[in-house]
Amino acid sequence: MTTLTTMQDPAAAGPERHNPFLVWLKGQYPLFILIVLLIIAAVASDSFFTARNLTNVLLQVSVIGIVTLAQFLIVLTGGIDISVGSVLALAGVLSAGFLGGNNVLLAIVVAICVGLIFGILTGYLVAFRGLEPFIVTLGVMALARGLVYAYTEGVPVRPGAEGFRDVATSTVFGIPILGLIWVALALITAFVVRRTVLGRRIYAVGSNKQAAYASGIPVKSTLMAVYAAAGVMVGLSGFLMAARIGAATPTAGSLFELDAIAAVVIGGAVLSGGRGTVTGAVTGTLILGVISNLLILLNVSAYLQDAFRGALILFAVVFTTVDFGKRITRNKRMS
Amino acid sequence: MMQTTTVAMAEVAFEIDNVSKEYPGVKALSNITLTGYRGEVLAICGANGAGKSTLAKIIAGQEHPSAGQIRVEGYHSEIRSPANAEDAGILLMHQEPLIIDTFTVAENVFLKELSGANHVKPWNLVSKKKTTMAEEALAAVGLSNISPSAATSTLTPGLRQMLAMSRTQVNPHNILLLDETTASTTEEHFQDVLALVEKERSEGTSIIFVSHRMQEVFSMSDRIAVLRGGRLIGVRNTRETDHDEILTMMVGESVAKLDASKSGPGEEVAPMVKVRGLASGSAKNIDFDVRPGEIVGLYGLVGSGRSSIARSISGQQDRDAGTVEINGRFVHPKTPRHALAAKIAYASEDRRKEGFIPAFSNGHNITLTTLERYAKFGVLNLKYEARRVDELIAKFQIRGTGTSFTANLSGGNQQKVCLAKWLETEPDLILLDEPTKGIDVGARMSIYQTIRTLADLGKAVVVISSEAEEIMMLCNRTLIIRDGAIVDRMTSNDNTIDDVIRASLGGKEL
Repeated sequence: MTTLTTMQDPAAAGPERHNPFLVWLKGQYPLFILIVLLIIAAVASDSFFTARNLTNVLLQVSVIGIVTLAQFLIVLTGGIDISVGSVLALAGVLSAGFLGGNNVLLAIVVAICVGLIFGILTGYLVAFRGLEPFIVTLGVMALARGLVYAYTEGVPVRPGAEGFRDVATSTVFGIPILGLIWVALALITAFVVRRTVLGRRIYAVGSNKQAAYASGIPVKSTLMAVYAAAGVMVGLSGFLMAARIGAATPTAGSLFELDAIAAVVIGGAVLSGGRGTVTGAVTGTLILGVISNLLILLNVSAYLQDAFRGALILFAVVFTTVDFGKRITRNKRMS
Repeated sequence: MMQTTTVAMAEVAFEIDNVSKEYPGVKALSNITLTGYRGEVLAICGANGAGKSTLAKIIAGQEHPSAGQIRVEGYHSEIRSPANAEDAGILLMHQEPLIIDTFTVAENVFLKELSGANHVKPWNLVSKKKTTMAEEALAAVGLSNISPSAATSTLTPGLRQMLAMSRTQVNPHNILLLDETTASTTEEHFQDVLALVEKERSEGTSIIFVSHRMQEVFSMSDRIAVLRGGRLIGVRNTRETDHDEILTMMVGESVAKLDASKSGPGEEVAPMVKVRGLASGSAKNIDFDVRPGEIVGLYGLVGSGRSSIARSISGQQDRDAGTVEINGRFVHPKTPRHALAAKIAYASEDRRKEGFIPAFSNGHNITLTTLERYAKFGVLNLKYEARRVDELIAKFQIRGTGTSFTANLSGGNQQKVCLAKWLETEPDLILLDEPTKGIDVGARMSIYQTIRTLADLGKAVVVISSEAEEIMMLCNRTLIIRDGAIVDRMTSNDNTIDDVIRASLGGKEL
């Protein structure tokens, strides 16, 4: 039981003299931000806590939520993937367009395969060729988006199958299936990173690749597995996105990479790898979702919404680097 | 061979005033007082761990003394930082030359100018005039055949060191600190260094030469200060002493045999590990055996190739030639993972870099090598794992719990975590690289005990160490490594610590 808690706490590596409770509390800050936001939302807008609006929020964050899970896995290994949005779009247009998009099951398989292929490509270049994830995924981003435009010629692809939208529109006990898929994937990801050999290896590789290698961890195949799994999730999101809109648009998923990275970071994961939790990534996604929903309800201009989001990212990263025990000495040294 | 320095009449260049340095659990220097004079070469000698590098770092302002101070004549304050040291006119030559590979030779000559923002004009870092100056500086250190515009990356280690030395020509200084600078220099370049030092000295520079190479110390210095165990044992005028006296001062007089009772398995026991003709990195043609239950020591100076031997056996680095046989089976692990499967464990000397995962708790670190044992179809049984971790924490007397972080532990406890991790793999051959590096005396004993226990369990143990005392106490046999080759084999019954150190320094023939 106790071994579980150590990984949950991204900030717990501070010196031992710190009060463990305060350290734990600090590790939970994404949750506090979310709670504060929900309180603000409840006060500022009557329409926020309505079943209709909450369902809407869930629908809005589910797809980006799954992409964030993929990003989270990659960030855990110390990598970064800026191609998620483009691969999502390519998976979407191909799943809607392949054989006219007449078979939903086939569409899903196509979407997942597209994601998997790009995941394996990225994974191969990063793990086996030792290339920088940022540069590799920069290339993949341009490649995939280019293929999207070439395939669609800029026109949205409408799938032929009647049930194409079902996944995105139907509900179980009033909860959208789309949201349930996100939750299920989050639970699976959490299980994998915390309860499996692969998960432990992912943290080890992300925290200290050299020590992991020296300890006999198969570093390359661990990285490969992460990029492949992330690719599958991104591919699936491509289908889900198309299903939600009813058509696969060539611009789908643009800037998703930034939102996903932001959510992961706000959720407390460290970009250098080895630290972070699924709970954090999910909370980060919800924080961003609630903010944009709230700002829309309050009729704040779309431009300002971006500014809010940016400010929040800055706040989150600054906050994670503040060491409460040491702040006084640091200020002293500066003066 | 060099002119006499009349100490009484010479001008003081710097004073090391009652300097002590403590690291957590270790006293690296105690009450060192030493004066340097202009126009003099002062050598600072000592065996591994004597504190000479620490003293060099303090003089260069890179470390703060815990007590005492460094004063430079004509400089207003004590030396507290590298900037202080530079202002005071101390020029440091590192063991590893500070060379930026992507810069040209000339740019590297003038590297220091990059740090003084006030007088740098970025557009003429290497102007025509500078190129001429660089040529002259290079010629002064015997590098006249190297073009200032050449790429640095192609230079050999010896040439790189000389390139760094050429900065003496362009950076004004009163004190030249050579910190093991000649460690990678070849004989011909050493003559250039000698000429350079001679020239500097005649110009009134005070030169500090930190080294353990007897021959170089004697051919270069005017006075020799000997450190041992962080204390200043004495200062001798080079003319009035000899190799033997200095070596005795470095090693210590009371060189008794330690714990000679343990003799290890006898000749009749068949070797478990046979290494033949091993070559990797700087190590070449290495032959040795390890019997089950035997602890074999590899002693040599840092850089002598001893780590290459262990790392190439354990798949951490490539093997150029040779075979390794364990229990009659030839093994050639290409990666640490293969080595694990072949029942070889290697505990690195660099715990922070290769030893443990900083984001992991003690428990997770300990089970890192044996994760599959706690898993069914890749799913971990955390309870089973935690139970085993608790057992091991108790067995190895690790301070802390399974859930506290290894990164926060003392060096000794971190090492215990690493040992526990490797012993869990139940290896036949265990290679321990500097197992007590940076570990205080109290924790050392329990690590020694653990190592002895391993041998008693019938494992083949190889210990690499820089400390002759440790290796003689711990090992049944010790192989002396010098310049990548085994030059001697010793046992604690037949040899003294003195023998070991002399053999590793090549002191006998000198």
